[in-house]
Amino acid sequence: MIAVFGLVIGVALGFVLQPDVPIGLEPYLPIAVVAALDAVFGAMRAFLDGTFDDKVFVVSFISNVLIAALIVFLGDKLGVGAQLSTGVIVVLGIRIFANVAAIRRHIFHA
Amino acid sequence: MPRHVPENSPQDTGSAGARTGSDPSEAQQVLPDQVTMGLLPYLNAHALDEDYAVAAERRTRNGASRGRPGVGLMGALAIGVFAVLAVTAAVQTSQDSVSEERERLALIKQVKERTERLNARRDLQDELRAGNDRLEAALLQNAENSTGLIDQIGLLRLRSGTSPVRGRGVEVVADDAPNAESDRNKVLDTDLQQLVNGLWQAGAEAISINGQRLTALSAIRHAGEAITVNYRSLSRPYTVLAIGDPNTLPARFADTTSGQRWLDLQRDVGLRFAMRTKTDLRLPAGPVPELRYANQDDEEGQGSGGQ
Repeated sequence: MIAVFGLVIGVALGFVLQPDVPIGLEPYLPIAVVAALDAVFGAMRAFLDGTFDDKVFVVSFISNVLIAALIVFLGDKLGVGAQLSTGVIVVLGIRIFANVAAIRRHIFHA
Repeated sequence: MPRHVPENSPQDTGSAGARTGSDPSEAQQVLPDQVTMGLLPYLNAHALDEDYAVAAERRTRNGASRGRPGVGLMGALAIGVFAVLAVTAAVQTSQDSVSEERERLALIKQVKERTERLNARRDLQDELRAGNDRLEAALLQNAENSTGLIDQIGLLRLRSGTSPVRGRGVEVVADDAPNAESDRNKVLDTDLQQLVNGLWQAGAEAISINGQRLTALSAIRHAGEAITVNYRSLSRPYTVLAIGDPNTLPARFADTTSGQRWLDLQRDVGLRFAMRTKTDLRLPAGPVPELRYANQDDEEGQGSGGQ
């Protein structure tokens, strides 16, 4: 339940502080959020599978966010930022769907 | 694919590998999933990070507790960071859309303000111009020996078309042929030019077309679909008012080549043309053209013209 606690605290902090994103990082925030979402759903599935590991989750979370932002950054520098973002979103989207499907199977046994 | 399995049966390596995967001698030929699966099925199959499985296997090997591992402090922290990120992104997006809308409204307001200012300046310009004319008239009236000048200016203005005139004359109404389809049976700019030239030739002293007074610098020409005079587009029918002797104008016009041409146009193409004499015509003033290049030549200036 410490996870739910962390989630609630995070949401509250986000709303209360409303941190200003530096202009330079602004384009990478949405893709970082999608990458983080993928890590969170993966963790949830692993939790239900019984294979969850705290360290793996934290590492995958951080690396997901950083790599997604890095890919978009590189794409921007190479002039294919929009296309690369689309690619990242597609891959992450497929993973999220697959993981959510597995979670659904766990919860509803269907 | 054949490069990886040079010797035996390259065709069904995948299925053979899957069937006999437990056999250590054949296991080396099993290709990794990235190679045998399509990209999308692979993504679907490996949606979960393999690290979880590896970590779980290591745990069981080490004989750790088989119970469900819970979320630790670090995991909770990561989830908290995720929540902050997501909320920040959402807040940022909504703020951006709000500020964009605000900028758009500000721009619209600016455009309106500038348009108003422009209109005000235009009004001011007209006012100043009228004031200039008044002052000029007053100056000339005060000056010695100026009545002749004023008279001459008045006459010149009448002739050049920059002051309104009234008098007797004729009214000509020209129009396209009934059910005109092509330019052939429509009134063209050249037709109007002919008509006006003929009227001048016949002794007209002032001419206007649909309320546009002709000055020395007026042009009659096509612009797009419409005929323009003084850069204003006209719509049919074209009413040409000409001040002159109503007794002689029609006959003299009919004698000119333009008159002959219009007779032909009426007969052959079906253009409509009607000339009526009028006892009281009023013609408006034309726009005062700005002379940018023409300067007065003092040597040729005669009498009271030079200053």
